[in-house]
This record gives sequence, C-alpha cells and structure tokens, in this order.
Amino acid sequence: MDALIDQLKGEIIEQLNLEDLKKEDINSDAPLFGEGLGLDSIDALELIVLLEKNHGIKVANPADGKKIFQSVRTMAEYIQANKK
Amino acid sequence: MEGYINGIGIISPQKTFDTPDFLSEVVEHNSKALYSIEPSYKEFLNPNLARRMARIIKMSIAASTICFRDAKVEMPDAIMTGTALGCLEDTEKFLWAIIHDDEQFLTPTSFIQSTHNTVSAQIALQLKCMNYNFTYVHKGFSFESAVLDALMTLAEGEAKNILIGGHDEMTDKYYRVCDRIGYFKQETVPTMELINRKTNGSIGGEGAAFFVLSKDKSETSYAKLRGIKTIYKPENNQEIENKINELLASNGLTAKDIDVVVYGNNGDARFDKTYTHLQDNLLKDSTSTYFKHLCGEYQTAGSFGMWVAAKIIKTQTIPSAILIGDNKSKSIKNVLIYNTFLDVDHSVYLLSQC
Repeated sequence: MDALIDQLKGEIIEQLNLEDLKKEDINSDAPLFGEGLGLDSIDALELIVLLEKNHGIKVANPADGKKIFQSVRTMAEYIQANKK
Repeated sequence: MEGYINGIGIISPQKTFDTPDFLSEVVEHNSKALYSIEPSYKEFLNPNLARRMARIIKMSIAASTICFRDAKVEMPDAIMTGTALGCLEDTEKFLWAIIHDDEQFLTPTSFIQSTHNTVSAQIALQLKCMNYNFTYVHKGFSFESAVLDALMTLAEGEAKNILIGGHDEMTDKYYRVCDRIGYFKQETVPTMELINRKTNGSIGGEGAAFFVLSKDKSETSYAKLRGIKTIYKPENNQEIENKINELLASNGLTAKDIDVVVYGNNGDARFDKTYTHLQDNLLKDSTSTYFKHLCGEYQTAGSFGMWVAAKIIKTQTIPSAILIGDNKSKSIKNVLIYNTFLDVDHSVYLLSQC
C-alpha cells in the first residue's frame, strides 16, 4: 500500500502540475479538495482520467467520487480493491 | 479615429517588462527561434491558477497587469486581443493526446486552455471584467484588427479605456512545421546581422504586448495612435504607397512629415524588398528603423513594432540597435510603422507625439 500511495502522489503532482510540491509535502490522509491540497472540480476530472489511464479503473458511478477522492490513501485503497 | 497609448506591458525576447530602459542593451539569442524572457509569475498570478496555464497565458496576464499599472487603469471598458495561433502549446497537448491515446483519456485542462480566446477570457476573469471582450484571429492581421476595433469603439464613444493586445507563442513543434515549409532560415543568425542576410526565411519569434488605448490623454501617455490601414496581398509597390498616402492625407500629413519609420524587416530576401522600396522612395527622407531581429517573426509582431514606435516618441530617442542607416531626426513628432507577414498581410500604423 505504501508503494502505491507513493506512486500515486507522483502521478497527482505530474497530472495536476503541482510544480511547487514534492511527494513528501502531501499528507496521505489529508483531504484532496477544499482544505489540504485545495483541488477543485477540474482537478477531479483530471483524477478520474488518471485512474482510468494509469490504473485501468473506471469510476462508473460519479456519486462514488466523493469517497474515492477523499485523500491519497482512499484513492490507493480504491485502486487496490478494484484492480483486475 | 484616434486614441492615446496610455500604458504598455510587453514580454518579449528582449528585456522589456521590468525596466524603463529602451533597448540600450540588446539580448543576443544567436538562435533560429527567439523565446521570451519571462518574469517570475508569482507576482502576477495565484500559483494555484498558474499551474494550469500555458506559457502564453501567463505571459499575457503578466503583460496586461504591467500595462494596467503603467496606465493607472484598474478596469478597462473593453478587452480586444489579436492572436494567430491562440494557445498553441495546449492545442498541441490536446491534439497529441487524442492521437496518442486513441481518442481516450482526454483531460479537461489542455482542452479548456487551448481555445484562441483563452487569454482575453483569463484577463477578464482575473479582473472580474464583464465588459466587451473580443479576440481576433486573422493571421497577420490579428493584432491590427484588434487595434482597428479599439479605434472605432473609441470613435463611437462606447469606451474610454480599452485593453488591446497581441500575443503568439513559439513551440518546438510549431518551429519544426514552419521550418519545413521554409518560414525560417537554415542557418543561425546573430541578432544584429539579420537584416544583412540575403537568404530566404527569417527567425522565429513570440511575445505578448498589451496597450491601454484611451480616449483622453493622461500623464502616462506615450503617443497618439492616429490610424491604421491593412492591405491584403498588394499587387505592387504603388498600391502600398497609395494606401500610406491615404492614411497620411486623412490625418493632414504627407510623407515629408514622417520623422521615423519602424519597418518589419525580417531578413527574408523574398520579402524585405517592400521595405527597401519604401526606404528608397516614398519614405526616403525619414529615419529608418527595424525591430524583428529583436523579437523574431510571428503573426502579431506588429504589437512589438507598436511598442518600439511608442517608446521612440515618448523617449525621443532611437536606439542604435534598431537604426537602419543614419538618424536624420532631430525631434520626433510622427512615426509610421510598416509591417508585413509573408508579403501577404501588410499593415501601416500612424503614431504622433501627444
């Protein structure tokens, strides 16, 4: 799980152009939206594409997004649970 | 139709954005394509917003911010910009992703930022400006169309302060495409030697230049913009001279009243003949200057030329780096800009001291 979380942090930084951040600056349990990283709705779309492109996981039900994208850890857990 | 240039902000391959200096030192790029010298954007943009923006958007927002500060204007009555290629870097990213990922996994950011009017829109969003907002995309007439719209809007009394701008960016892919169709020289040319190269092609360039064009003169005024004319594919030099004479006559002037001409010579042996003809004939009594060795060739380079002309008038100086031949001018009242893109889109602007 730790390796996946680390990988995911790198992918998020790259996909969202978070140029000033390093992996260690991102708290695995901090909220991605609002507080924490302060991401917005466009970033949410970018993260959905990231999941599909890099991990082959499609978020079928948009309502699940809130839970999946709560933090880097919840994203990693979702990937692990749904990886084929 | 006239307007006062009351503020300027320009980011270009020269040091133009954070210094009052006027080309006393020239940045030698020694390259086939010139890229802009960029500021630190943290002063102009929230990093959270900047992370999504391509270089041309950041350059334009910074240049427009500098322009507003220079003009002491907080909110324009209209925003009119010209760009031939729009936000090319993001367009390339988006198209590349379509091809590479077989039309899957398209991300929203590069799509949103890839439209031609993104720059005007982002400037308006930053200012919360709900006024008239227009982007002209007419190849070598893009910036000139914005200027013309602004002059007409001022003449109609529909605005007092208008932000006008020209912006285009150079990318590696665009350079390669243009190089293949013969836009650029095959050899690297030192900046100050460009005008003397008698080979085909020019050097690539880019920039973002913004101006506050106002109805009234102010303490910050650089010059009065008195008119602009565009000529599409002129048949011969006589047609060009006639258009210049028309512009001058409509302002009560003749060619003898022009103290300085700012030419768009770009070192391309195929196209510089128009400038040479004017220098040797209609405008032979004026001091000749040029600018594209400093900013490179691009469709909205006329905006760099307008900066040069406005600075010449305001400072009453002609830097040696832009001079062709001798300086014949003692005082500088009237300046003409003559520019062409690929000998297709020709434009002439008239600026005067105010």
